[in-house]
Amino acid sequence: MTLIDNSSFIVAALAILVFPIIGFTINGLLAKSIKEPTSGWIATLSVGFSFLAAVYLFFGLPADSYFTVDLFQWIAFGETTISFGLMVDALTVTMLLVITGIGMLIHMYSISYMHGDEGFTRFFTYLNMFVFFMLVLVMGSNYLIMFIGWEGVGLCSYLLIGFWFKKSAYNDAAKKAFVMNRVGDLGYLLAIFLMLFYFGTLDYSGVMVAAQEYTAINGNTIVTAVAILLFVGAMGKSAQLPLSTWLPDAMAGPTPVSALIHAATMVTAGIYMVVRSNVIYALAPVAMDLVLVAGVLTCVYGAVIGLMQNDIKKVLAYSTVSQLGLMFAALGLGAFSSGMFHVVTHAFFKALLFLGAGSVIHALSNEQDMRFMGGLSKSLKTTYTTVLIGSLAIAGIFPFAGFFSKDEILAFAFEENLAVWIILSASAVLTAFYMFRLIYLTFSGEYRGDEETKKKIHESPALMTIPLWVLAGFSIVIGFIGMPEGLGFTHAFKNYLAAVTNPGTEILNLDPHAHSVALELILIGLAMGLAVAAILYARKKYVTDKQLPHKEGEKLPAFQHAVYNKFYLDELYDNTIVKPIRFFSDKAFVWFDKNVLDIMVSGSAQLTKAGGNSLRLLQNGNTGFYLFLMVSGTILLFIIRLLVK
Amino acid sequence: MNTLILCVGLGLFCLVAELINIRKLLLPILLVGLGVLFVFTLTTWGTELPPSIWGFSMETMIRFDNFSIAFSALAIFITALVFMLAIDYYKTEENHITDYASILMFTLTGALVLFSYWNMAMLYLGIEIVSISMYIMAGSRKFDTRSNEAGFKYFLMGAFASGFLLMGIAMVYGATGSFVIEEIALYANGGNLSPLFITGLVLILIAFFFKVSAVPFHFWSPDVYEGSPALVTAFMSTLVKITMFGAFYRLLSLAFPGAISEVYTILFIVATLTMSLGNLIAITQVSFKRILAYSGISHAGYMLIAIMAIPVDSSAALFYYTISYAIAGVGIFAAAIPVFFFMNNEKVEAFNGLGKKNPALAFIITILMLSMAGIPPFAGFLAKYYVFSKAVEFNLYAITIIAIINSIIGVYYYFKVILAMYTQEPDGIEVKPTTLYWTVAIACALLVIVIGILPNTLMGLMS
Amino acid sequence: MDQTIAVSQNWYISLSALLFGIGVMGVLIRRNAIVILMCIELMLNSVNLLLVSFSAYSGNNDGQVFVFFIMVVAAAEVAVGLALIMSIYRNLASTDINMLNKLKW
Repeated sequence: MTLIDNSSFIVAALAILVFPIIGFTINGLLAKSIKEPTSGWIATLSVGFSFLAAVYLFFGLPADSYFTVDLFQWIAFGETTISFGLMVDALTVTMLLVITGIGMLIHMYSISYMHGDEGFTRFFTYLNMFVFFMLVLVMGSNYLIMFIGWEGVGLCSYLLIGFWFKKSAYNDAAKKAFVMNRVGDLGYLLAIFLMLFYFGTLDYSGVMVAAQEYTAINGNTIVTAVAILLFVGAMGKSAQLPLSTWLPDAMAGPTPVSALIHAATMVTAGIYMVVRSNVIYALAPVAMDLVLVAGVLTCVYGAVIGLMQNDIKKVLAYSTVSQLGLMFAALGLGAFSSGMFHVVTHAFFKALLFLGAGSVIHALSNEQDMRFMGGLSKSLKTTYTTVLIGSLAIAGIFPFAGFFSKDEILAFAFEENLAVWIILSASAVLTAFYMFRLIYLTFSGEYRGDEETKKKIHESPALMTIPLWVLAGFSIVIGFIGMPEGLGFTHAFKNYLAAVTNPGTEILNLDPHAHSVALELILIGLAMGLAVAAILYARKKYVTDKQLPHKEGEKLPAFQHAVYNKFYLDELYDNTIVKPIRFFSDKAFVWFDKNVLDIMVSGSAQLTKAGGNSLRLLQNGNTGFYLFLMVSGTILLFIIRLLVK
Repeated sequence: MNTLILCVGLGLFCLVAELINIRKLLLPILLVGLGVLFVFTLTTWGTELPPSIWGFSMETMIRFDNFSIAFSALAIFITALVFMLAIDYYKTEENHITDYASILMFTLTGALVLFSYWNMAMLYLGIEIVSISMYIMAGSRKFDTRSNEAGFKYFLMGAFASGFLLMGIAMVYGATGSFVIEEIALYANGGNLSPLFITGLVLILIAFFFKVSAVPFHFWSPDVYEGSPALVTAFMSTLVKITMFGAFYRLLSLAFPGAISEVYTILFIVATLTMSLGNLIAITQVSFKRILAYSGISHAGYMLIAIMAIPVDSSAALFYYTISYAIAGVGIFAAAIPVFFFMNNEKVEAFNGLGKKNPALAFIITILMLSMAGIPPFAGFLAKYYVFSKAVEFNLYAITIIAIINSIIGVYYYFKVILAMYTQEPDGIEVKPTTLYWTVAIACALLVIVIGILPNTLMGLMS
Repeated sequence: MDQTIAVSQNWYISLSALLFGIGVMGVLIRRNAIVILMCIELMLNSVNLLLVSFSAYSGNNDGQVFVFFIMVVAAAEVAVGLALIMSIYRNLASTDINMLNKLKW
């Protein structure tokens, strides 16, 4: 890594941060006088300008170099100094492009999507504020600045989840997100204090050096603790088990918010942070294992629950949880750049899928239940095509983006840990299945909603379809920045990030891609084949057999009757695989979600509240009682003083 | 010394103002006076002139050092902010504003004494000046039973705690034979402390725990905060609290530095209880003033950690904490009093939908709340950071971890207000603060940001 | 001289501790605001006694001067306290401190 001192870069970096603030200020100050589309365009343009500056940095800044902007020295206390500064390197630029690029498209989409909403300007004010904090998060030069962004995006996320506050469920969702992120923040804060205390700095570069020096002398206990605590922070933000249940609930917010915050950007902050701290993780194998286990479990858990969801956004939400798990699994294996690669591709196709879902919801007058959809491919051609592209991408079909990034992680897993490879592959199959279940239930067959809504079905306006097309285009081509090295291609993305991830990978000293071209091809073929099989199965189930998800409260019909004229093998297959999966998807995991995870996390919040409620009773308003407690306290303190000096 | 005299003079002037009928000019004159006082205090920075009146040396009674000058300047500044709010606040009350103004000025006098005492007698006097003034202010709405109740509860428990303070001072006197700080310190550093001395110290500590509203001596504070007029609550929760902490720190760091280890367990238990209980109960509250009362209790717990870290000189950390706490506190009240007034409601629900009705005001409250909650980059975060890092420097790991967990819990109730503003449905009532409320609220929000982003000047001064 | 100060200092300490204790108990047990106020005065007076005795034994006059401080401040405190009790009596027609429990929880 070489430090570059170039004033035009510094201007560009500051410009990236300043534009969203300008948008935020204009919309915030003129909230009452500004008319509907204008505020949306102001917000969109402000992010657009940031995007241009980010593009400039992308082309200007060599991959192996970085630059810093030290605005001023923030904290000087004892020997510790923390500067208020920015640091931009290849990793930052990658995130910048994703945030501002996809952010701009989603802003544009929202102009039409939020049309007529009474909080139109307010929505864009929050959205700009979110973009700003997200940029702070990725551009900061130390963990404390990252924490500012970390808290900021959290705040915006709650505000946006609860944006349509008429339904109280929305507020509950915001509260849940809040509590779970608190648990994560606790980990993050403790990690910051540990780093300050043991490494004496919070700068990324400083921590990197100090962590290695410290570990060389004193062993890796502290580094492991720091890594685990940071990961607790990441769990909260990126919805990993057991702090995962807030993300599906967060879908209560407007769909563009789900696309931007809860799919493309904020939830990947945890991955960014781990990649940023790759040296710390490389020094702490135990923490790496923890990341791997949490990632793998979350991946399969999200995929299984996704199988049986009927709310179109919930499917995508669980899919996001699962994909985030996949990314963490990659990080846990030591494939830092692969994890980042999946962040990038996932940002495009998941944003696309959410926006597509938004388009469907928009067309169906806010219907989100897939049981009341169907047959929309004719009336919503653009939406259908683009969502199909997104689904192919997430299912990992060549040449769509998800194919490259997912294959890379799977190939890595195959070398490192066969069990992980099997689980991740299985999740990939499930992913392909539930995505096409979504496609078929939504777009194929006959329309199942009421007539009233049917009359109003219309394709979304151009403001919404243009972002869809752009994202679809990227979902097709973006994968090619990371062609498999095993087949002799150059992996442009990996090389781009090499300067950032190398320090970590060098410590881990993994042997990259030892297997042959033939094996690589077999792996690719296998993954593709399984995905295609899953898609075909979904097609058979939902198009040919026209099965529908059972209604609420209705008991599952005896499965054997439905398949009575099929091969015996089919029945065996149903009984050994489908039924258990269905059980897990529909009953066990959902039950686990509601009764274990929720109770564990929200329970701790409720316990706190209950504690407060009972302690509150001490304050009974009676002065005599207060005096009595004061005297008792005095006597107790004296006794304690006598017993323990 | 001159600052003290000037301060008393301003207080007396208020009383006379009623007689000579210049009520209209009262507050402008007071603000100018406070400005002069502020500048005057700052000019004495770094000079340790021996205090004297007409040639009589006061050296054994009072001494001004950088610590007392810094805290005095802060107290004067806070008082000036509160006076700015008072102008509009008392427009709606038919009571004699001159009386209130003079009492507030006398409170400030007491505060200045408490930052610079060098003798137990002055400590006692200072505490009583501040306390008695606040008893009156708390009960100042004569026909409001809630205000009566607040004033009387405060008085009864305060007088009771004063008894403990005096008993403690008497015992310390018995053991050391002196009321002068340095002679007590001489004894305390000498080792082999008599039980009489330790008992006296613990009694003094308990009196201070009461004054800073530490658990289990905090019971007065939620009730009194709720019952008092909002402006008085603002004064009480900011100026009085930081005053008591300044005095507490001065006492332990100058008079009892050798004896802190003797009462370490007590401080640990009280600080833990204070933080935890304050936060836990605050979560369940619906009254905004009570939330602030409990939040004030938990903040007292964090500040007690600074007291525990006295051996590594945590004065700068405590000073930063008091600044950030007091300014955010005054700012919150400046923004909240208009809300209380227009909504005629002092509960959190009064803030429902403020983000829609008055986005700017809601934004300011958000910034101040975030600072209180300890979210960077606002001052409240650094305040906690400085205190915690001092604690870590002194190897107080256990209390630091408890404090971090608590500060995480604490965020919840601040966010409750923020969420109420942005995610609840507004009702039709407009909230339109007057210019002075705006000025104070904006100034506080800016200050919280500025000292949060540029803390070094401030910290450099103290160290 | 020796014979006039035959009483050991411990007796003074014990007596003031006893008085202080009676004062505290009185505050805790009684419900009438005025009686509580008197009990607090008793606590303060026990402190005065202690200060004077310490002062006499150590031959240092500071303690006795301090007693005057306490008396003056206590007078001021009582003045405010009685005023508050007055206004409460006017509103509630009672000085029972248990009546004052509107502010709670």
